[in-house]
This record gives sequence, structure tokens and C-alpha cells, in this order.
Amino acid sequence: GRRPSILVVEKDVRSGIPECFSHVPMAKRMPASQAHKDVHPAVLAVGQEMATFAIRDSIARLEATLLAFKKVIESYETPKGNSLSRHFVPHALNPQIEYLTECRPMCFSMGNAIRLLKAKVNKFDIDTPEDEAKEGLLGAIDVFIKERVMLAEFVIARNAAAIIKDGEHVLTYGRHRLVEKTLLQASEDGKTFEVSIVDDPYDGGGRELAKALRHAGIRVFYSPNLGGLNAIAHRATNALLGAEAIFANGSLQAPAGTADVAMAVSAQLKKVIALCETINFDRERISVDALTYNEVDPERNTAESFRLLFDNTRDKYISGVVTEFETGSGLSPAQSI
Amino acid sequence: MAPSQAGYAPSLDKLLKSLKNHPLEASIDALIFLLTRRQVHGDDCAIATAHILLQVVARSKWNDVDQLLARVQKAGSRLVYAAPDEPVIGNIVRRVLGLIRDEASEERNADDLSESASDIQTLTTSSSPPPRPPPLVRSTTAGGSMSVSKSMFNLLSVADPADLPTGASTPVSQAQPASIQALRSEVIDGIEEIMDEISQADDQIASFAEIQINPGDYVLVYRPSKTVEKFLVKAASKRRFTVFIAGLEPHKKQGAEAPYAALRKKLNAAGVNTVNLASNGLTAYMARVSKVVISAKAVYQNGGLLVDSGSCIAVQAAEAYSKPVIVLCGVYKFCPQDPSEELSWGGVKGNSSAEVSYAEGAEVDELEVENTVTDYVRPEHVDIYLTNLGPQTLHHFAGILADHYKPEEMLLSLQLGEA
Repeated sequence: GRRPSILVVEKDVRSGIPECFSHVPMAKRMPASQAHKDVHPAVLAVGQEMATFAIRDSIARLEATLLAFKKVIESYETPKGNSLSRHFVPHALNPQIEYLTECRPMCFSMGNAIRLLKAKVNKFDIDTPEDEAKEGLLGAIDVFIKERVMLAEFVIARNAAAIIKDGEHVLTYGRHRLVEKTLLQASEDGKTFEVSIVDDPYDGGGRELAKALRHAGIRVFYSPNLGGLNAIAHRATNALLGAEAIFANGSLQAPAGTADVAMAVSAQLKKVIALCETINFDRERISVDALTYNEVDPERNTAESFRLLFDNTRDKYISGVVTEFETGSGLSPAQSI
Repeated sequence: MAPSQAGYAPSLDKLLKSLKNHPLEASIDALIFLLTRRQVHGDDCAIATAHILLQVVARSKWNDVDQLLARVQKAGSRLVYAAPDEPVIGNIVRRVLGLIRDEASEERNADDLSESASDIQTLTTSSSPPPRPPPLVRSTTAGGSMSVSKSMFNLLSVADPADLPTGASTPVSQAQPASIQALRSEVIDGIEEIMDEISQADDQIASFAEIQINPGDYVLVYRPSKTVEKFLVKAASKRRFTVFIAGLEPHKKQGAEAPYAALRKKLNAAGVNTVNLASNGLTAYMARVSKVVISAKAVYQNGGLLVDSGSCIAVQAAEAYSKPVIVLCGVYKFCPQDPSEELSWGGVKGNSSAEVSYAEGAEVDELEVENTVTDYVRPEHVDIYLTNLGPQTLHHFAGILADHYKPEEMLLSLQLGEA
């Protein structure tokens, strides 16, 4: 039928992006009615949450996506004359992925998980009964979430907490789930230390972290922005930074401002420790600046302001990466995984 | 914050207009009030200080050079103390003190000359200023400078009129008030020259813009000051480039004008693209940036900069990507001293209430909230110091300082700020 006229006058949301950043993707709010008819309601909901940044960090997005995919698998029925291993991915899974990508560019953990899921489907024999295949996929997702998300978080927090020593002064930027877990774990382990939180005023997560740490009895210094960073870095003994992803060349993709913090701390010859689950590692892509892989902040894409969500911290500013497999020790992290 | 327009902050404008009608002390107090509340800050401090010191010279009572020096130093110290993070105030005080010493020594020379010619009458009746001999080169030793100048002045300052023998109409006593008058007007002229220098500095710096900015450049500026704005607008009249404006206030106040709207309008009209970066970190953009232009609040003897908090993020990011950093700074911002130990590692703490609402409850109260207003940039991060005298490097600093400050004033740092 006819498309509603509203869509015709809707202005291109990307038109405000300056020419020199026009290659950078941006999350987009898409009315659910505009989505492909095959998109599952659970995925629709997740997509909306991603587009509005209600779910924002890489692991939360991964988990929400996988749980929604479980719903897709559960409700999937192989059409007559087809087999799941041939039909599921192109006809059932791909429309979901396309829709999610349109809502917000996929993060690396989602890409990695989807690749593993597709590989799992491909391994099924063409004659595998549908129920058996579905059980297999659902089970694989459960194991995946348990190992790569929950267990990873637990192990990283434990390993990183072991690095913190009594009397240290830890600097962190914004609020990252792994950093928060680590600091709380260290406090629970009976360590006495102080924390300086440098916040991103456009995000404000650091304040929430400050409250949580304060609640646990940790002495917290809070700085609402990067001003005075050098003085704070001077006082700190090390820095714990959460990463969104790690590239094959060992550089870190993390919330914009992380690189500035890492540089200031490493300039004073203090340790900069990155925390990251291995599912966020990308073994194929290499990035040496923040303009190759990034996202435009859709909230700050107006004539008055522009903002990139991430920046890129080169490996030379990072002393080590803590993952669920091992604690890095200055090795190029991506190559050690 | 609204972009700065031509002219001064409204509160300063008002103060300067009221100077003539208000008692001197009231004017000094008014400026101190504005300085402590930061309603006068940044580059306006220099011109405000010069205006006030001019009033001190013109209107306070003084009978000899020592008294004048003491008056200026007292008023100057109070201003410096009111705004410890504005070293430019101290610079202007030093230069005015140096000016007074210069003029006094010229007066003395004039006196000496006329005395030797036994022609004091011509000096006292003459309305034209005395001839200007070349300034004395004084070899003063550290610490003794004040006493040296004092004793020098004692040579020429005849005792108070009260001590004079009767029949006070001796040539010498007639010469005294006249030479005071001459000194006063000489010093006032000198201060006016300093004020001209300050007010012309931005235009002179801007005149080098087209040399520094090339077509196709991506120029990153951080909270552009009037100096940087003039520089960009001037460059835009000759070149096509793109400006990234960083350091916006993260939370726009209701009804506030769009950040830097006036500047952007001017630049856009000249065909220069502008992008407001609403970002805390700046490393993300550095791959695209071709040069960073900032202005300094002050430049220290070692080449380090006092800057608005956050500028050093831009500078550090530029360093990581080997992008040149151009610092715009009139020579009146060159301080004859090194930064304090404290400053070189940290900023001066600012007011935190703007950032955290204390209504949020007990947790927030217990946080130690830090909010710095100024930052220090190390000299190795600066590539070009672009002054009203043209581009400079660290190697020129000693010369510039020697041209603008006398050794006595260079040693003054401890006395200032401890009033």
C-alpha cells in the first residue's frame, strides 16, 4: 500500500553529521512498524532498547541479543521441504540481525557471538531433526552466556582485584561494569584503597559508581570532567579502565575520554590496566585511530554539537589487559588470546 | 557560557565607567570583589589592573617615589591576592612599578642635569616634560634592590616640606611638587601605553593568522577566548578551513544561546565550517585535527602555560598524534617567574557546587568532589608561542622578559600575594 506521508518529510538524521565524520555510523530510532515483517517481537524490543541506549554497553547488548535469539529459535518452525541447517540462518536469523544493526551498529561481542552461533548451525547435519537442533542451539546459547559473560565477569573481577594492593589509589574513568565489580571485590577482600573517579559529563555514570563505592565504604574522589586530569593522575598509583572492545593490534575501543585518561596516567609511568572479556576481542580488525571504527552519539548530533561515542587507546599506553583467561602483563593483548 | 563579544564583561565595563566618580578605595574594593567572584577573569584582569593602578597613580596622595611605589605595590598586592590564579595581574603591577622606577630615574637625571646647569627655574616653569635621557642601567644585586632604589631616591628627594627651613621658596623646594607632577603624568602616560599594548595585542596576534592557518586545515580550539576568536575570524577572511570547537558546557542552561553562536556565525559567513565537539576527551578527534590553537592565561619563565582547565587535554592529545600546538599570548602575559610546584602538578581547585547537587543525599556529601579551574601545560608540549611581537620559541623568553621587567620586579614574586 501507500507509505505514510510522514516518512517522506522525515528529515535525514544523518544530515547533521559533519562531512569529515560522514563515514561513521549512528544508532537510529526506527518505528517498530517499519521493521521487516519477520523480525521477532522479542528482537524488536531489544532493538528499540539499543536504539535508545537503554541497553548500552557491549556485554549487556550481547546478553539481551542472545536471550532474544533464544525466543526466535523457540518459535522457529522449519518450512516443509527445508532443513533447519539450510533455512534458519538466511530466513530466520538474518532479518533479526539486519534489524538490530539498523537500530544500532553491532558491537564486536555481538558479531563474535553471532559468528559462533552460525557456525553451530552449519555444523548440524542436513538431516538433524528440528527439535534436536533447536535444543542444541538453545543449550549452546545458555553455555555461552554462562561462560563468556557471567563466569568471565566473575574471573576478571577476581583477578583484577588481586592486582590492587593496600594503600593504592586507583583512577578510573566513567562507570564500567567490570571496574565496579573489581573495586567492590577488592574492598570485600579486605583491601584498603582510595579511588578517583573521573567522569564524562555527557554520561554521568561516574557519579553512580561513586555512590556505589561510597556505599561500600571506599574513599572516593570525584571529578566531574577531565579538567585537572594530570593532578589526579599524579596522585593515583594505577588506573583501571573498562574496554568496549580490543582490536587485533591491541588498541582499545572504549568510551570517549578513556584514551585521554590512559595517556595522562602512562605519561606519569603508572600502570594502566584494561579490563575486557575475550568475547569483545576482534582478531580481524585493526584500528590505529578513533575514526575508523566508531559511532556518532545520536543524542549529540545537532547543529550545536557533535560527539563520537568511543576513542581508541593505542597499546603503548596500556600496561596490561585482564581477561577471564589470564592476566596480561604488558604483552600485546590481542595476540595473547 | 555565551561567547564573548567585543568589549569587556558587563561588570567590568560598569566598573571602568564608574572609576572617575568613585573614591579610589571604593574602586579598588569593587574590583577585588569582582575578582574574587570571578566576574572579572581571564584577559580582562590585565586591563582592569592597569585601570586601577592608573587611578592609584593619579589620585592617591604621594610625595615621593617611594610612597608612590608603596601605594602601587599595596593596591597591586591586594589585587593579586584576590585572584591568585590570574598571574597576569602581577605582571601588570610589576610593569607599572618598573615604569615608575624608570621615570623616577629619568627625573633624577633631569634634576641632575638641570642642577649642574644651575637652571632649576627653567625646569619648574617649563610645562614641557623634561628631556628623556637613556634609561639607567642599574646593576642591582638580589635582595638589595629595594634598598638600593630607596637610597637612590633619598639622594634626590629632599625631606618633607615641614622639615624645610623657613623661607621655603628655595629653588629646590619649588622643584619638588613640579617634578612630582611631571612624574605623575609620565607614569600615567606609561600606564596608558601598557593599556594600549594590552588592547591591541589580540589584533596584532590575529595579523599572523593567515601565516599559521593553511587552506584545508582542521583547527581544534578549546573554549576559544577573545584572542582565539579574533585569530580565527582573521584567518577565515583569507583561508578555507574547518574549526572544531571543544570544551562546551555539558549541560546547556535553559534558554541559553547556542554555544559560540556568534563566533560560528562569523566563521560560517566567511565559508569556514565549524563543528562543536560535545566531548570530554579529545583524542578521538585528533587523527583529523591538523593543529591545535589555544590561548594562555599566563606564560611562565620556563615556557609552561597557565590555561583554562581542560585545555591540557587538547594539548596532550595533540602531542600523542604529533599535531602542532599554537599558543596565543600577548607578551603582557609573560611572567618573570616559574610556576609553583603545586601548579606544575595540579590545577587550582574551583567551585564544585555547580557540578553536584547536594540535594541528592548523604552519599554525595561524602564524596570528595574536585573541579579544577586552571591547568598547567608543560613547555615541551608547546610548538609556537604566537605573541603580539610575532611567533616566538622558548629561546626568546629571556630576552622578552628582560625587555619588559626590571630586575627588581622579577624578584617581587614573594612580596606579591602575601599582602
